[in-house]
Amino acid sequence: MKIVVAIKQVPERDAQVRIDAAGKWIEETEYALNEPDAYALEEALQLREQHGGEVVVLSAGPERVGTTLRETLAKGADRAIHVACDDLGARDALGVARLLAAAIKPEAPDLVLTGLQSEDLGLGQTGVIVAELLGLPHATLILHVEKTETGFTVKRELEEGWFQTIELPTPALLTIQSGGNKLRYATLMGIKRAKTKEVRSVTSAELAVNAAPVVLLEWVTLPRKQKSTQMLPGTAKEAAVALVEKLNVEARVL
Amino acid sequence: MILFPTLAEPQYFSLFEKLLFAALALTSAAAFWSRFGLVLDKILKSKQDPGFRLFPIGKRIREFVWEVLCQAKVIRERPLPGLAHAFVFWAFCAFALVTLNHCATIFGFGFLSPSGSIGRLYDYFAAAFAIVCSVSIFALFVRRFFIRPQWLGTKLSWESGVIALLIFVLMTSYLASFCVADASPSARILWWSHSLALLTFLPLIPHTKHLHLLLSPATVFLSRGSFAQIPPLAGDEDFGLVAGTDLTRLVSLQAYSCVECGRCTEHCPASNTGKLLNPKEIILGLRGYLNEYGPASAEPLLGKYNSQQAVFQCTTCGACEFQCPVGIEHLPILIGLSRGAVNTGTWEDQHGSRLFLALERGSNALGISPTERDRFIEKNALPLFDGTQEYCLWLGCMGAYDPKGREIVLALVRVMSYLGTSYGVLRKEKCTGDAARRLGNDLLFQQLAEANLQTMAENKVKKIVSICPHCVRTIQEDWHEYGTPPAVEHHSEFLARFVSQLPRTIDSGFSPDIESEGCGGFNPRIKPTAPEAALAPEAEQTTSTLRPEKIVYHDPCYLGRYRNVYDQPRAIVSLAGELVEAPRNRERSFCCGAGGGLVFLGEETGERISHNRVHELIATGAQTIAAACPFCNTMFRDALAATGDAAPELLDIAQLVARTLPQGGVS
Amino acid sequence: MSGILVVVEDRAGRISRISWEALAAGQQLAAQLGLPVSAVAIGSQTEALAAEITARPLAKVVRVEHPLLAQYTADGFSLALEQIIRTDAPAYIVFPHTYQVRDYASALAARFGQSLIGDVVDLSAAAENASPVFTRQLMQGRLNGVYRHTGSGPCFLSVQAGAFRADTPDLASTSAAVSVFTPTLEPTQIRTRPGEPFRDGTETIDLGSALRIVSVGRGIKDAANISLVQELAIALGAELAASRPICDAGWLPIERQVGSSGHTVSPKLYLAVGISGAIQHLVGMKGSQCVVAINKDPDAPIFEIADYGIVGDLFEVVPALIAVIKAAKQ
Repeated sequence: MKIVVAIKQVPERDAQVRIDAAGKWIEETEYALNEPDAYALEEALQLREQHGGEVVVLSAGPERVGTTLRETLAKGADRAIHVACDDLGARDALGVARLLAAAIKPEAPDLVLTGLQSEDLGLGQTGVIVAELLGLPHATLILHVEKTETGFTVKRELEEGWFQTIELPTPALLTIQSGGNKLRYATLMGIKRAKTKEVRSVTSAELAVNAAPVVLLEWVTLPRKQKSTQMLPGTAKEAAVALVEKLNVEARVL
Repeated sequence: MILFPTLAEPQYFSLFEKLLFAALALTSAAAFWSRFGLVLDKILKSKQDPGFRLFPIGKRIREFVWEVLCQAKVIRERPLPGLAHAFVFWAFCAFALVTLNHCATIFGFGFLSPSGSIGRLYDYFAAAFAIVCSVSIFALFVRRFFIRPQWLGTKLSWESGVIALLIFVLMTSYLASFCVADASPSARILWWSHSLALLTFLPLIPHTKHLHLLLSPATVFLSRGSFAQIPPLAGDEDFGLVAGTDLTRLVSLQAYSCVECGRCTEHCPASNTGKLLNPKEIILGLRGYLNEYGPASAEPLLGKYNSQQAVFQCTTCGACEFQCPVGIEHLPILIGLSRGAVNTGTWEDQHGSRLFLALERGSNALGISPTERDRFIEKNALPLFDGTQEYCLWLGCMGAYDPKGREIVLALVRVMSYLGTSYGVLRKEKCTGDAARRLGNDLLFQQLAEANLQTMAENKVKKIVSICPHCVRTIQEDWHEYGTPPAVEHHSEFLARFVSQLPRTIDSGFSPDIESEGCGGFNPRIKPTAPEAALAPEAEQTTSTLRPEKIVYHDPCYLGRYRNVYDQPRAIVSLAGELVEAPRNRERSFCCGAGGGLVFLGEETGERISHNRVHELIATGAQTIAAACPFCNTMFRDALAATGDAAPELLDIAQLVARTLPQGGVS
Repeated sequence: MSGILVVVEDRAGRISRISWEALAAGQQLAAQLGLPVSAVAIGSQTEALAAEITARPLAKVVRVEHPLLAQYTADGFSLALEQIIRTDAPAYIVFPHTYQVRDYASALAARFGQSLIGDVVDLSAAAENASPVFTRQLMQGRLNGVYRHTGSGPCFLSVQAGAFRADTPDLASTSAAVSVFTPTLEPTQIRTRPGEPFRDGTETIDLGSALRIVSVGRGIKDAANISLVQELAIALGAELAASRPICDAGWLPIERQVGSSGHTVSPKLYLAVGISGAIQHLVGMKGSQCVVAINKDPDAPIFEIADYGIVGDLFEVVPALIAVIKAAKQ
């Protein structure tokens, strides 16, 4: 079974967020593998362990993406494809999906996995659009994948603690939700073995897709409210009333 | 002649006797070599130890003399049985010439004439040892077979019984030879008894744990050179101790040297609290592996003879290695086994993975955003290190993120300000990698060490002071593999240098009328709500101010056994009250249970190590427990919480000092 | 090409709260742009749903009905909507940002050469007579991004739950016209087979996926008092959890332990009762969306990471809370 895992290199979760001079994005910082993609990779590796085959990792972005690709090879992927692209930020979700779809198509995989969404833009669309462009059936928010005679049976997360089983034919595309599996840590053995694994580079120009965006990110700002603790004063009864109101209206968790 | 008896020797041996003896001797030697040669072969066929240096040889010789010839470790830990064993050993040494002579006489080459003055003197010398040895071996026999101490194991060792009997026969037959005449048949019988005992003993040596007679002097001499030393990995295919092919000569030698005395297990915190881990069994497991599979096998080490579960119960406290009288180095072996599991990804532990992932992605072992550390620094206006200050104050993960760890840091900061020390904290810190290192994740450790070394170089850090013995150890010893770390010391070492400048709570010539002069004067002891809440001069002068508070000091493993720092923290504690010792103290201190990365892993099975220790500390009757490590502090805090409200107070030594500082000082 | 089309969803046979919010967003957009708003309900039986929305000021309500739309599938809904969009040619299509919408809306937009602007929290005119800009959250809430639709063709967007108020219903004087649209769908076009929704077994305690957690610490003082916190958990529909000392003492089973040696949880609501906030506990729950702390000690470290805090005696606050929650349910 050939599985392609599309991953993204994103700013580190704990990195400080500073808006750049142009006001359009954040300044260069430290980068890491997008965590939901780590879960997608884990799912792929487990499927390969059970059914054999190949796990190919794919990512678009500038040169620094190579480091993250090597990490995925160290975690166990068989080979990697780097879509060299320096203007990823200027493309919208459709544009990026076109790029990835063009790179995936010649691989003709049985299964394409992506993380549910990225930690920077958080659109959660790339995988869905890639499925559309490649004409693959798809499902999102997947926690568990099982291979069947005819395709795949997957466990999908629904709102409010509900789940659903979906059956799909092969080939298919799935976007993987975090937390479905236990992630594996990078090992010394993995890193040593990764040195000999292939990382193939293909430029965005070679893929020749339509890059003109229909949606533009005009500017970025810092949110007005910073997180601070609201202490609710008064008697027990007063505080309780205030709390329930806040939870209902402000935090909307009730 | 009765007053000064001589050793009786048969004057004449028949040809038959000579041939018989020769045949028996050859058989005995062959039986000996068939096993010993095999063991030697396995040891020599093991791969070489990377980074092993024979020189400087002075230290090796000194340790050899102290531990082997003087039997220091054997005696120190278990004095009476230890002394008994020492006598047996010394008797063996004394008997060397006697035995040689004994075998030579049958062929007419005897060189120690029992009637000559030298011979006689030597015979008496040996006889004295024989008496002492007989008594000792008898006592040891009674201990093993009748008293049956727990640490020798539940199975009775018949081979020990046989060996004891042989030694007894050897000694008594020698002594009896003084009481018979030279030419008498008794002399011949005694000579043959002695010989048979000898020839039976010889092949038994390599077939039993008495192999240590031959190996342990070498084992002690060929130690790695320092305590708990983790060897570097050699080359791209070395991932630690995975299979037989990874066993090195030192490891094999040590595995075969084990005398099964059980001192390691006796002091192991895991073994003492019902865990699977038993250090003696780990070593014997390796021996079993070598016996069955040998050093060229690809069979996993963690399988038939040892379990992964046991290995990951090790807190790396080092009590085992510290105690071992034959020079076995348990820690490189245990960590080698963890390395083998972690570096190859065969260790699948939920909490372990989470720890590694937190360190992979972030900067600290707790998985907390570094903005929390920034906020802590900002809120307390800690100066940033800019290369001009004398010390870099290393916060560490606990000091930066744990509420109690932060209190310790702030207490130290108060003291440093009081002393006028110039210091700064780094803008960014990454975990030193202690937990990753002890759990065997070399990839992660290398990344952390290299990143930190670079930060040190960039910031021009020359001296570090830290509240955490784990950080200190990792910086000083483990980072060495990837670069040159700055000088580092623990805050107890730092504070101890200024003991004379720091105020004492208890003045020996105390009188309540003495006017307070700020530091060094009378400071009434009141239980503060927070360490920083200093003492008001107009406080109560009654209650317990007249009797100094009892403070029991707990030696952290990584400060005590690992770094040999015992007196400096005690000097600090003595400033604040009456120092009380726990029964298991100094080198015998009992671990708090956090080390080896275990504090980040799931719950322990069996009794909690920290609870075991806390009960011991409470039983001293002290009002305060003094800690010198933020991990000990956190483990004890949990354990004390389970004890109830009457629990003693728990403070770090920095907090003890800060408490005595005059209020309104520099802060 | 004109008009704003709002796609609504149902929950248990009624229009969902977030759909009302999507309608409100659609109406706000309509007011800015002077465009009419219509609503679309999709399914196999949409009569009741349509009846619910006709009272709102809408140009029309379209019932997209087909037996193959009885259960949601990406293929079915995308094809159906694609057809109605091609027929009606709206300028804007507004979705509620639900799991379901995330599953198909962007693929649908791609069919029109468009890119969905998802999870919008604000839409306002950049300047007078300028095209609208849409704000969404980036970097997990640490940054806001402002987007503009620059292409020609319809603009697809989805709105975040709670971002648009649907509390004050705007009732129209006349009901909107309702029409039924039957899309052309073949069974072979539906490539996925969804099963019935289910809940995971309730016997095992699954703190990791709990949406609300009430957690108890040493402040509870005695095993007998746990029942008080249990009552609060039941009232909130939350799972009960505890810090380590409680499990150590055996007052609650170890499966309920949250912390470095227990579970790591990230619920929407984490209510810490009588918990001081030691690091071992914090690392287990710092991912919670909303943290509420009740503690007697104003200096307890838990308050530093809490969104809402009450300094008080939990034996007074918790019963008061239970009373307020129960009253609110009435």
